[in-house]
Formats: sequence, C-alpha cells, structure tokens
Amino acid sequence: MKRFLGLMLAFGIGLAPQADATAPATPHVAAKPQRIMSMNMCNDMMLLMLVPRERIASITYLAHDAVETLMPGADRGVAINHGVAEEILQQQPDLILASPWSTPVARNLARRVGAPVVEVEAANDFEAIRRVMRQIGDAVGERPRAETLIREMDAELARLAARRQDRPLRVVAWTGDGSVPGTGTLTDAIITVAGAENIAAKKQDDSYSSFSVEELLVARPDAIMQGNGRYDRPSLRQARARHPLIDRLFAGRQIDYPDAAYTCGLPQTALAARALADAFDRIPREGPRW
Amino acid sequence: VNRLLWPAATLLLILIALVSLGTGRVWLAPSTLIDGLFAPKPNLGWLILTELRLPRTLLGLLVGATLGLAGAVLQGLLRNPLAEPGLLGVSAGAALGAVIAIYFGLAAVLPLATPLLGIGGALLAGLLTFTIGRGGTLTLILTGAAVSGLGGAGVALALNFAPSPYAAYEMTIWMLGSLSERTWSQLGLALPFMLVGIGLLLSTARALDALTLGEAQATSLGIDLDRTRILALAGTALAVGAATSVTGVIGFIGLLAPHLVRPFVGHQPSRVLLPSALFGGALLLSADIATRLIPTAQEVKLGVLTSLAGTPFFFWLVLRLRRTSP
Repeated sequence: MKRFLGLMLAFGIGLAPQADATAPATPHVAAKPQRIMSMNMCNDMMLLMLVPRERIASITYLAHDAVETLMPGADRGVAINHGVAEEILQQQPDLILASPWSTPVARNLARRVGAPVVEVEAANDFEAIRRVMRQIGDAVGERPRAETLIREMDAELARLAARRQDRPLRVVAWTGDGSVPGTGTLTDAIITVAGAENIAAKKQDDSYSSFSVEELLVARPDAIMQGNGRYDRPSLRQARARHPLIDRLFAGRQIDYPDAAYTCGLPQTALAARALADAFDRIPREGPRW
Repeated sequence: VNRLLWPAATLLLILIALVSLGTGRVWLAPSTLIDGLFAPKPNLGWLILTELRLPRTLLGLLVGATLGLAGAVLQGLLRNPLAEPGLLGVSAGAALGAVIAIYFGLAAVLPLATPLLGIGGALLAGLLTFTIGRGGTLTLILTGAAVSGLGGAGVALALNFAPSPYAAYEMTIWMLGSLSERTWSQLGLALPFMLVGIGLLLSTARALDALTLGEAQATSLGIDLDRTRILALAGTALAVGAATSVTGVIGFIGLLAPHLVRPFVGHQPSRVLLPSALFGGALLLSADIATRLIPTAQEVKLGVLTSLAGTPFFFWLVLRLRRTSP
C-alpha cells in the first residue's frame, strides 16, 4: 500500500497506465534540449543530476521533499509543475520526460505542441536504474554524465558485495499498514544488495503482501525495517507501527530508513543500500529469542 | 426454560471466547498455545495468546456487550424497535471524534484524547438526534440517518484535511470497524469509560419497565423521565463513544442483540438488558472470528460482516413492522 501510494504520488494522482497503440513515433529530439519538463518525481531527480538547472523548464511539485533528503538544495530556483496539460502549453518545453502513468491528455497535448515526449519506466532494481539513467542521459544529451553516475553506483555496489555476511540476516520492511514489499520492488532490491534476505519475498503473492503482527512473530525476522520521512504524520498505521509488543520484542532490531530514498531507483540507491548494510551490522547476530 | 438460559448463554460465550483465542491469521495448534503458558517466557504461543489474541477477544466481548446493551436501552427508552447507537448517529459521532484525535496528533500527545473525543462526538451526535428527532419513530430514525450522514461526512472531511497521505485509505477502516492488532493499552484506555457507561445504562432498567406503560403513566409512577433520558444518553455516549474510538464504527450489533434475545426472555425491557449485552458480545466476537478465518490477503473488516449479517435482519424487521402496525 505504501509503495502504491508513493507511486500514485510520484506519477500524479492515480492515472491508469495507458495502452498506447499509436506509440513511439521516435520524436525529433534536439541534441541538447534547453527547456526540459519532467512530469514524474523519479525523472525529476535524475534530471536534476544530469543537466544544469538553467535547462530545466519545470519538475513536479512532488519532488521537493525527496530532493531535500537525497540532494539538498538541488532544486533551488527550479519551477514546478503539477503534471497537468495546461502547464505544457504555458511552459513550451522542448522535451518532456513522462512515465507510462502520465496523464494521456497531457501527452496528446504535448504531441500537438510539438514537444517530444520520452516515456521512462519506474526503476525497481539496479539493472533498471542503469537502463533508465542511460535512456534519460541520451534524451537530454548528457550520456557521458549518466555513465559517470552509473560507474559510481557500480563501484559502491561492488564494495557492498565484498562485505557480504556468511549468514544473511532475515529482515522485513514492515510499517504496520499490513503490507510489506516483496519481490520486484525497489525495497527488495536494496535489501538484497545490502546483504540480507527479505522474508516478504518468500510469500506467494509477490510484490505487496500483507503481514499481521501474528505473522511477524511467527516469521521471527532478525530485524524489521520501518520507513519514515514525509509520510510520518499521525495516522492509524503510525499507531500500529508503534505496537508496544513490536517495540519490546524488536528492541535493538528496528531499522529506520528514509522513505524518500526507497521510492525512486536512482544512482543514490546504492548509498541507501550502504546505509542499510551499516545498520545491519549493528543488529545482533543471534536471532530473536522467543 | 429460563433456568437453563443463563448457564447456556454463559457456556456459549466461553466457548466463543475460546475459539477466538484459538484462531488467528496464523494457525497455531492449540497444544502450542497451551504449552506456551507453561514453557519459559517469552515464547511464541505465549506472546500471541496474551499480547495479541487475549486483548482482542476481551475487546470484542466488551464492545459487543456495550453495543447490545445500548441498543436494548435505546429501544426501551424510545419504545422503538429500530433504535440502536448506529442508526441514531451516535457511532458516527464517536468515529468523528476519534478520527480528529488520531489524525491531528492529539492522541500522540495525550493517549486519553481518543476516547475522550470519541465520547464527546457520541454525546453531541446523540443530543442532536434526541432534540431534533423528538416526537415519533419516523422523525427519530430520519434524524438519526441525517446525523449519521453528518458524522460520516465529518470523518471524510477530517481525513481530507489530515496530513497523512494514508488517511483516505484508513477511512474505510474507521467506517467499517476492526479489532485487529489492538493492544492492552487501547483496551485499558477505553475500559473505564465503557464500564461507567454500562453502569449508567443498567441503572435505567426500572424506568424503562415503567415506560412501557406510556410516558404519563411512567411519570405518575414516580419516574423522572428527563433523568432517565440523560442517563441513557450519557451511558450510550460513554460506552459507545469509548468503544468506537478503539474499534471504529460497528453497526447492527445493537439492533440485532435485543431482538434475538426477546423470544427467550420476553419483552420486559429490564429483562432484556443483560441478555442483550451477553448476546451482543457473543455476536461481535463470532463476526470477528469469521474475519480471521475468511482467507483473503487483507483481513475482512469487521463492520462488513456485521452489516452483511445485519441487513437482512433489518429488512425482516421492517417487513414485520409493516405487517403488525396499521
């Protein structure tokens, strides 16, 4: 549910993926577009890393919190959009970075304005991050910069792979709203790279399955990861995540991680994995005792 | 028959409570649970039994009893077979109060805020229904529907303003009710209010009996009608408000329980009260057990089941009313 909400936010409030029959007519892209408009939170951050701010027409209004966490100040002075069609007319971009979930109206309009639209998938594992970085790098004419960032990420991943434990910790990202990220999610990719085993990936229903407190007790993970950040507002699920039993039994075995770093697959995701691996090192090696 | 009734009801309740302790999203053999009681602690069976299933079972019994009792008292007081906390808007008012407390951070500062605001909301909603809806079955039910709608709209509005992006999703939890993952501390917060409320409700028994003769006759028998109304309203607000602030809105228990016990104990209001409470507890706990057994990815919400079971009964009641009244 959490990731789903994150996605909804990232891709502009609940729009169904469009089955585009007339799709990619390989639009003409200027070698170095100068007025790039991003309509997706994850694209926003890649864009901020790849091109100077002057060449960005606008990024989404959703990006700010995540930018503050991952690359503070990078979006200073950059205009924002709300992913709606009118803004395309107003800003006259020469390149639009969209996602398969971007509103079809906006994309049709973009076609009429004559701005090429590049559709970028969500990157939920490290291979996808490389692919997406190269795709955006090509689109904005900054492929060498993209390759540099990918090399840095891969170096970090190699260092992580070298410090693998012989017995991987069994962990789960559990935030109390009853759903946990399983296979095919970015969180799962981060956990794996950080050298642990995501016990939610073993459940039959993949992606996001449910985990009650009872199931959590029976599964006996070595540690539970709890996301925090901009979603940490008072709510029922917050109350649930603070279940006194969880606090007591998993004392010293709870790992807080920033939601923002787990929402979009970016080169920095490797850093999030390193931070997670560091946190894993502080978890007692012997399993919980009940 | 009457002499066997109490032992039978108590036995049924104990049986249901045992089943409730034995079932969960995770199946543990009863032997594991029982061994857990004697094995060195903490162990899995012990933790699940005492920290998760026991508070949930007790809460289910108490909330069900509260709703059943409140329904019986309201039906007696208003001499209206359709009266119950949910239909009169009291539950919706309580949910609104609780939602405000939880989503605007009051509960985080002061845990007592949730039951208190729940009770406040229940009290306001009840007052509104009682004052505007005076003067007959129809007006009362209509006002109750309006107040329920208002409470529901208030919850939706409050959640729209709530800073948590999960609020919209969690709204369904509030409007449908659930007992899952409740803790001892939540039970502890609501318990005193519920007990006082139950006490107030029970204290109306004699007045309710007199009221069956009509308001004038009751007054001539020395019954203070205003006092009775205040006791019933305060009792309902305290008990249902505190209960709803922990579980969300659970409908139909208050309606069903009194009607189901009347064939056994007769129609004298004072004799309906306690059996209604017992039966309400059994009913709610059975529904909660069903939510744990139905194999869905996410637990079925408790209110869904009580509504599914309650609505056909409601229809039957309406049809019967139409047949019996001119």
